[in-house]
Amino acid sequence: MTDTTPKISIRGLYKIFGNDPETALQRVKDGIGKAELLSETNHVLGLNDINVDMPTGKTTVIMGLSGSGKSTLIRHLNRLIEPTAGEILVDGDNILDYSARQLRDLRQHRMSMVFQKFALLPHRTVLENTGLAPSISGQRPKAYAAEATKWLDRVGLEGQGNQYPAQLSGGMQQRVGIARALTSNSDIMLMDEAFSALDPLIRTDMQNLLIELQNELQKTVVFITHDLDEALKLADHLVILKDGFIVQQGEPQQILLHPNDPYIEDFVADINRARVLRVRSVMEKTTAPAEGVSGEVDHDDTLENVIEASGGDTNKHYKVTRDGEQVGVLHMRDLVRALVPRGPSAETASH
Amino acid sequence: MATYDFLFDKTGLRGWCGEESSGLSSMADLLGNSGGGDDTTSLWDTPFPSLDALHDACDKIPQSRDLTLGLERGFLDIKDGLKVIVDPITQPLSWALENALWLMQAMPWFIMIPALMLISWLVGRSLKLVGLVAVVFGLLAFVDYYDYTMQTLAIIFVCAFICVLLGVPIGIAMSRSDRVQRAVIPILDMLQTLPPFVYLIPLIFLFSVTEPKLYGIAIILYAIVPVVRLTDLGIRLVDPDVIEAADAFGMTERQKLYRVQVPLALPNIMAGVNQTIMMSLAMVVIASLVSAPGLGVLVLRGIRNLELGVGLLSGLGIVFLAVILDRVTKAALARINAQQPQ
Repeated sequence: MTDTTPKISIRGLYKIFGNDPETALQRVKDGIGKAELLSETNHVLGLNDINVDMPTGKTTVIMGLSGSGKSTLIRHLNRLIEPTAGEILVDGDNILDYSARQLRDLRQHRMSMVFQKFALLPHRTVLENTGLAPSISGQRPKAYAAEATKWLDRVGLEGQGNQYPAQLSGGMQQRVGIARALTSNSDIMLMDEAFSALDPLIRTDMQNLLIELQNELQKTVVFITHDLDEALKLADHLVILKDGFIVQQGEPQQILLHPNDPYIEDFVADINRARVLRVRSVMEKTTAPAEGVSGEVDHDDTLENVIEASGGDTNKHYKVTRDGEQVGVLHMRDLVRALVPRGPSAETASH
Repeated sequence: MATYDFLFDKTGLRGWCGEESSGLSSMADLLGNSGGGDDTTSLWDTPFPSLDALHDACDKIPQSRDLTLGLERGFLDIKDGLKVIVDPITQPLSWALENALWLMQAMPWFIMIPALMLISWLVGRSLKLVGLVAVVFGLLAFVDYYDYTMQTLAIIFVCAFICVLLGVPIGIAMSRSDRVQRAVIPILDMLQTLPPFVYLIPLIFLFSVTEPKLYGIAIILYAIVPVVRLTDLGIRLVDPDVIEAADAFGMTERQKLYRVQVPLALPNIMAGVNQTIMMSLAMVVIASLVSAPGLGVLVLRGIRNLELGVGLLSGLGIVFLAVILDRVTKAALARINAQQPQ
């Protein structure tokens, strides 16, 4: 969906936890399952043949339930966890070949991380926490104060620099976590269930903040979540993990409309499709001028908006535009059909 | 006739034991014959096959008295070699103690007491505490125990300082390696459970009783344990999420230690320092047996001469000293905790 080269490429990544991962790896490659591996050899299969390309300047969301290996996967990207086999290419370099010094440089300047439990330093002020990355590379507080304050203001924490983390609420602490990641000026931001510990309203706020920042800064974001709504809201590229392997990956709308696995069909069954699906995913692609259209809609509108505009009339047709130019025609019948999961496979999913 | 004769008769070791044993047994036989006594001891009275019991049966087996004597001779044999190494290493301790004792006593009381009050203010920031310090030292000076108190205090300051100086790095090393921890913990357990008097005996052999380092070493060995243990514990208890964040942002091991682990472990380390100070106070009294000056000497006088009043008053003085040392270090601890709201 993008023609730029991927920022991060993961190639054939395996992670096995146990005393003798090499032997276990051979058995996994021979096709042994996660449960058998555990019962026969007492090794835990963390990641199984992961291949992902993460596009530059986009948000890649890795979604899975607990135990699916998503937190293990994100920790491979900055080598907090060492893989058993595979390659991780960042800007074309295999970071597994990096020396300790190169790895520190990668973590200080090229990748930053936001944590589920915030992980701020409790004995440092908000400003000092925000300036963690420059302070690690040896800058004095005076030198990084301006930059850190700028990002604190940007995430909505004006004038809180002298507080200690414990004096802030959870949502505010995570804003500090994001400001800390932004202050490092890295291209890549790893977010490990960054919003999962927050209550729903604040979570929505933070998601909107991230979308806003993303429109402005175009970082390469790798976002981990167990929440499908959150994943669909944020993702440009969605990767769904289950038991350590990738079930499906691709553009979120495509996954929603064409799930290739009963597991994912189950997953997407509870989603409010009208709110998530966009006009561009269900329209008929044509530049030929359509007849009898009732109006214009933008290609990025949600179906919910169109239904509201149409007043529920399924006989209508709309011209779909992008930047004022026609890119297709939307038939309300197609729209209504898209609201229901596909017939035959839906039956197999529900048995 | 010894109980375990059969052991050597049956196994054919009688020859190795020599003939005296047979002579003895015949003597026993003689006695048995003449006295008509009961030479078959009942099963109920069978002695444990200890060194002494076996010695009765066979002269070649040493008595347990020989074992303790052997230990003593062994220690005396390596003493000179040990002294060559230990003496120069511990010499600074003697100097530190001598100078601290001289300084604390040479300073006139009207400078010393305000100085101690100032220290307690800087550490605790509590006027109540400063008042308590003034009252305690005033009281002790009033009953003419001022010099003894200062001597005790000087010894505690020096020894507790050295305990922290050595103990914190040992604790850090333990927290970073499970192998070091496994090796050090039995030593700490031994130091903590060995009766304090036992330290003193080998030290007396090693150093002359006139040297201050004799009691200095005894106090340090006894009091260093809590600060080591709590430093180790404190660093191991630091939130692993925070450590992971430090790693994720590329901290070096050294940065992680000084900027994250030690500051976050500080409340525990300070609790260890508090315990170390209290234990050095306990030991300084016992160390008066080996010429440590201070309030302990008065306690000892009370015991030796059965001077009840002196013993009580000096004992009470030690309690007061313990109270203010405890309160001041706890106030410091509370201030550190207040800075780190978790």
